[in-house]
Parts: sequence; structure tokens; C-alpha cells
Amino acid sequence: MGRYWRTLRRFWGTALATQLEYQANALIELLAVALSLGGSLLLLSLFFGPGRELGGWSWNQALMVQGFYTVFDGMSSAWLRPNLGSIVTHVREGTLDFVLLKPIDSQFWVSLRTFAPAGLSEVVLGLGLAGWGAHQSGVVFTPAVLVTVLVMLVVGGVILYSLWFLIAATSIWFVKTWNATEVLRALLASGRYPIEAYPAPLRLLFTLVLPVAFLTTVPAEVLLGRASLPLLALGIILAAGFFTAARGFWMFALRHYTSASS
Amino acid sequence: MRIFGLNWRIIRALLSSQYAHMLEYRAEIALWALSGVLPFIMLSLWSGSAARAELGLDGVALDRYFLSAFLVRQFSVVWVVYAFEEDALLGRLSPYLLQPLHPLWRYVAAHLGEQLTRLPFAALIAALFFLIQPQAFWVPSLGGLLLAWMATWMAFAIAFLLQSLIASLCFWSEKATALERLLFLPFLFFSGLLAPLTAFPPAVRAWVQWTPFPYLIDFPARVLSGDPVNLAGGFAAQLGWVLLLLPLVLLLWRAGVRRYSAMGA
Amino acid sequence: MSAVKGVSFSIAPGEMVGFLGANGAGKTTTLKMLCGLIHPSAGEVLVAGHRPQRRHPDFLRRITLVMGQKQQLIWDLPPMDSLRVNAAVYGIPDRVARRRINELSDLLELGEELTRPVRKLSLGQRMKAELLAALLHEPEVLFLDEPTLGLDVNAQMRVRQFLADYNRRTGATVLLTSHYMADITALCPRVMLIHQGQLFHDGALDRLASRLAPERHVRLELEQPAPAEAFAALGQLDRLENCEVNLRVDPALLTSVLAQILARFEVRDLEVNDPPIDQLIGELFRQGSL
Repeated sequence: MGRYWRTLRRFWGTALATQLEYQANALIELLAVALSLGGSLLLLSLFFGPGRELGGWSWNQALMVQGFYTVFDGMSSAWLRPNLGSIVTHVREGTLDFVLLKPIDSQFWVSLRTFAPAGLSEVVLGLGLAGWGAHQSGVVFTPAVLVTVLVMLVVGGVILYSLWFLIAATSIWFVKTWNATEVLRALLASGRYPIEAYPAPLRLLFTLVLPVAFLTTVPAEVLLGRASLPLLALGIILAAGFFTAARGFWMFALRHYTSASS
Repeated sequence: MRIFGLNWRIIRALLSSQYAHMLEYRAEIALWALSGVLPFIMLSLWSGSAARAELGLDGVALDRYFLSAFLVRQFSVVWVVYAFEEDALLGRLSPYLLQPLHPLWRYVAAHLGEQLTRLPFAALIAALFFLIQPQAFWVPSLGGLLLAWMATWMAFAIAFLLQSLIASLCFWSEKATALERLLFLPFLFFSGLLAPLTAFPPAVRAWVQWTPFPYLIDFPARVLSGDPVNLAGGFAAQLGWVLLLLPLVLLLWRAGVRRYSAMGA
Repeated sequence: MSAVKGVSFSIAPGEMVGFLGANGAGKTTTLKMLCGLIHPSAGEVLVAGHRPQRRHPDFLRRITLVMGQKQQLIWDLPPMDSLRVNAAVYGIPDRVARRRINELSDLLELGEELTRPVRKLSLGQRMKAELLAALLHEPEVLFLDEPTLGLDVNAQMRVRQFLADYNRRTGATVLLTSHYMADITALCPRVMLIHQGQLFHDGALDRLASRLAPERHVRLELEQPAPAEAFAALGQLDRLENCEVNLRVDPALLTSVLAQILARFEVRDLEVNDPPIDQLIGELFRQGSL
């Protein structure tokens, strides 16, 4: 809808303007992003050495996984943390009322209201790293492969958003547990490494319960031509399922919010 | 007799009020404890990796190291720069500065209150760990426990002083907390939280030894897990860092307060 | 436990209605039910032909909510940026939005404030900018929850003046809650007093006054002290201290009582006054019952 698209442009225009008010901060953020990536690669290198593999993945292949992780870390810095973290602020300060009275979908508003540009640099860095790792691993970039990777990245993004949103939406009940999303973030850090590097029980956890695998390992496997169709289908089903759950939960949360007293 | 405005009565009052205050936030604190699971994730990676031969820690020793790292982290996590920034923004600093108690003591008390509140949750997570890995269960000797406690305390002191340095910078710029973000990175990678120091190549290890970071997690964790470690050297280094940072913090703080009053808050 | 019970009323378009009540009486709850932010557990609400709780976009476009000390403006940016976001959200073309902004900023006496970050504006300027943002989409119904809270006297007066003007020009319906009697007396010909969740009064303000304090207050200063019995037939004695007397008199008998007082006593000073309405209402709230 044209109105939603225009609104989105205004949302992010104002977000960008706000960031520019604090330019020094933005620069430090960029530096932090670069250093963080450097440190993560240093750490990753500790697992490797002459002739060593991590869970059957070579150094360059593991770089792809790190790259995709960085893409999603950037996504959470850019969109998830600033937006979904504000839900609890709205509830605490009573400004959720303003959001609910606007003639626009409240989940749209709450999820896309702002963004932190520094996160975008992470997304770009992540894509670069994944591309480099893929190139070094001898991946052939055919259109089919690229489209599939894009689809899986969208799947991963939807899963990440839905998980984060589900937890953040609980702030409507529990203002004091606003940092539950930090637990999610900590668990998601497992996505830095290929899922085969983990023992079997954790592998199951990270595929079905907390589908980190679909964020980082599966897109890399797509590039390596190793991803089976059932696996991709599972990812799509999980994404659809989690998103529906997030939407339904939000509607449920709003019904609760509007039946309590001021 | 007062040390920077502190005496027994004040200590008791500060600690009890901060503990009561933190109990109000125990749900949030429990979640903070839970979000410290990164060492366990790293443990599962290291256990399955061929690279663990380099560590000098294997099997049960590796389990104990990472559990100890988790526990040391839980009791040495520092957030003074965030609390301070918020207090500065909300104008709460002025009353603190007018009292005959060095404001940093308040934050120390807040941290101690938070650690005490965190204790049951950290213990629960440790218990869960032992359920999953019963072979790693151990109880340190009394002496070992005391030494580990000391080492963790010193680690907390160093971390607190480092962040207080940055917090003092808030007197000059509102956005000093961004610097904390930068300082956190070398801590994350070189403290031993994600990988014991022995995982690093000797060249890296050589200069990391000169930073305070390994003494924040790696050294105390090894003391706790009973790993043979150079106790004298480690404690000496920790003490050295505290003695270096303490006067720096006090000087910077005083300069900051002077500027704050000159600016008219 | 119900916040509001048995409250029934209907408001015609263009009316300006004030909701009075102590803290926790239920006036904000009532307002929020009218906005659709709270669902009534029983009963029906219809505003502008809609059920508010459905939050139908057409309904949302016709109403607006302003809350004192809570803002929808972006803190770090000039109000103009928030206005542009609202213009997009309500589907107002930029040309139309610019015209409305100019009109409203004239009425509100806002100029360069619109281009300064909100955090740098005074509370009064912020409230005016909030009003502008709230009225950009020309709503038919205005819900104002304590809009003058925390403002200085001048700013309060300006806001009141603006609201009265706005209601006259546009015929918008205005529902207002406030702690400040001055808001209500200045703006609202019709007042609803909500007391302990129930509708105590719905009508003109002076009728409320006479309902709450049906008696006139007479204050006397006599040349010489007089005993209490002397006043027994005249009215209710509130206070008797030396030469100072406070008496409460039935309004119908006021003139004859005054005549008797002047005839019987030597009066140094005499004053007939009515306690201000806020004192009456304050009394009401303190007593906790009628």
C-alpha cells in the first residue's frame, strides 16, 4: 500500500536524522563493528590450524557461516533491538496508546518505526565475508544458487524477527523481564559456528526449537550445494509458523492490554 | 574514621538498601544470569574440536574451566558506566556529590547487592550443568575456594575501576558509554571467557599478559577449577592493576567533578 | 472491582464536555473507553458511529488523543519531522499538510519552535506542538487527558484559548479531563463529575455548584461578641470566635436573615460568599461520599 510505503520512508528518514544528531556515536559504532568482526575471526582461527576442520567445515566454509551470522547480527542491531526494545518503553510510559490510535497497523509501527544505520554496515560486512568465504571455497554463483540463498536469508530473517518479537511482546505483561531478548541473543551467538560443530542434542535444539541453523548454516550449505530440498522446505514452514505465532500473539497481547485498567 | 566517607554503619546501610533494591529486580537479574550462557556454548564447541589439544585442558578439566569462567563472570560483571550515565542525565548526581560519601561507593554497593541477588540463579545454572555433565562435578577445597573468591573479587575490582574510568569521562561527554562498547571487545576475546588463554598462539599470549584482561576471567577461573596456575604471579598482576587504576580513577573523577560544578551541572 | 460503573451519557457533535473527578475516580478510564483503548466489561460505546474498541481505521482518523506529560513527538528531532510522519500515517498529501500546519501554528503561536528539537522546547511549547501534531488530520472528536498538566499559568491560558477557538471554528467535539478547575470553568459548558466510578453530575457547572453547596456562606465581624444561641434561628453556625462569625444560610432566606443580622447586631464587617467550586469538589472528594 502506498500509504504504508510512504510512512516507512518517513519512519526511516526521521531515524536517520536522529542518528546524525549523534555522529560521534555512529563512528564509534562502526569501529566497534569492525573490531568485533576482527576478534570473532581471530577466535574462529583458534579452532583451525594446518589440516584442521570444525565439524567437517573448512576455514573458508566456516567464514561463510560467520558472514551470515554477521548479516543477522547487523539486522538485529539495525532493526530488532531499536524497535522491539521500545515495546517495553511504550508500555512503561503509556505511549503505546498513541500507537494504537493511529490508523496504521500497530505491529508495523512497533517493528519498523526506526532503525540504527550502524547495523547496516554490519549487514554489508557480513555479506562481503560470506561472499569471500564462498569464493575461496570454490562456490559457483549461478542464478539458481543466488535466488535460493536469498530465499533462505529471508527465511532466516523472518524466523529471527518472529522469535525476537514473541519475546519482546511479553513486555505487555512483564515489564520487569524486558531483557529476555538478551537471553535470545546470547543463545543465537551459537550461530557463529557451523551447526555440525555441536554435539547431537544441541544440533537438534538449534534446528527445531531455536532454529539458529536456518540463519547461518543452512544458507551456507545452499551455497555449497549441500542443502537438501526437505531441509529448505522445513525452513520455510518454520518461518511461516513462527511468523503466524508472532502475529497471533501480538493480537492476543493487545486484547489483554486494552482490557486492563490504565 | 571514614575512608572516602565510609564507615561500618554506612556500609551496612548501603549494602542492605541496595540488596533490597536489587531484589525488586530479581526477574531481570535472573535473565541477565541466563544470558551469560556463552561460555557453555563455547565449551560444547571446544569439546568437540580437534583444537582442544592445544588448550592443555581436556575432558573434565575443560568442563570445569568453562563452568568456572561462567561463575567468575557472573560475579565480576560491571555496569557502573550505564548506571552513572543514567544518573547524570536524570540529574541524580548533584545530591550524591553533595554528600560526604564518595559516589562510587554507592555503585559498588549496588553491584554487590546485585551479585547477592544473582547468586541463587547462578547456583541453579551450575546445578543444571552438573546434571548434564555429572562427571565434571567437583567441590573445591576450602583454601581453593577462598583463593578463588579473592581472585574473583580482584577481577571485579579491576573491571569496576576500568569502567569507572570511562564513567568519569561522562563528566565531559554524554556519550562516553560508547567507549565502553569498544573496551568490551578486547575483554570478550582476551579475558578467557570464550577460550582459555592457552588457546592463543604464544605471540598473542605474550602481549595479552600485559593487559588486565586475562586476570578478569582466565586466572580466577583456573583458580576455581583447581587448574595448576601461577598463583603468586596472578595475584601480583591483579594487585598491580588495581594499584595502577585506583589513583587514575580518583584523579579523573576529581577533575570531572570540578568540571561538573564549574558547568553548573 | 470495577473502575467505572453505571456511567451513561450521550454527547452531541460540537459540544465541549469536561470530566471532573478525583484521582482514581475513573475519568481517565472513561476517556480511554471512548477511545477504544480499554474495553468496557459491560455496556456499549459508540463514537462517531463506530465502536471504538474495533479501532477501525475510519474511526481512528476521526479522533485524536492528547495526554498531558506524555508525548507522541520524537524527542530528538524538531516537531516538523514528527508532523511529516503523521502526515504519511494519516494519508495527508504534503500540500494539504503544509497548509494545515501553517494554520494551526498561527493559532497556536508556534513559529521557529517547529524546527527546533523537541527536547530543547519548554513544556508549554512542547504541549502546543503536541496539539498541532494531534490535530493535523482534522479529527472530529478530541480526547484531551489532562492537557494542561504541569504547564505554567500563561501556557495554560493559551492552551485554553486555543481549544475554545478551535471548537468554535471547526465544530469539533471536545472531551476534556482535568484537575484544574480553571480549565473546566473556562472551557466546558457541560461538566460530568465522576465520583468513585459513578456519574454524579451531568450538566452545567453552576448547577453542580448549587448541588454541592446549597447554602450561602455569611461571614460576620461584630463590634461585640454574641452567644451562639443568638444565631440559632438564622442559620447553621460554622464558627464563633470572639467577634468573628461564620454562618451558613438557606439561599431562599438570605435577604431576611441579613436584615435580621443588621437589625440585631452591631456589625463591623459582613461578607456573603460562595466557596469556590474546587473547594466544594475537594470537600466532596475528602468526605468520600455525598
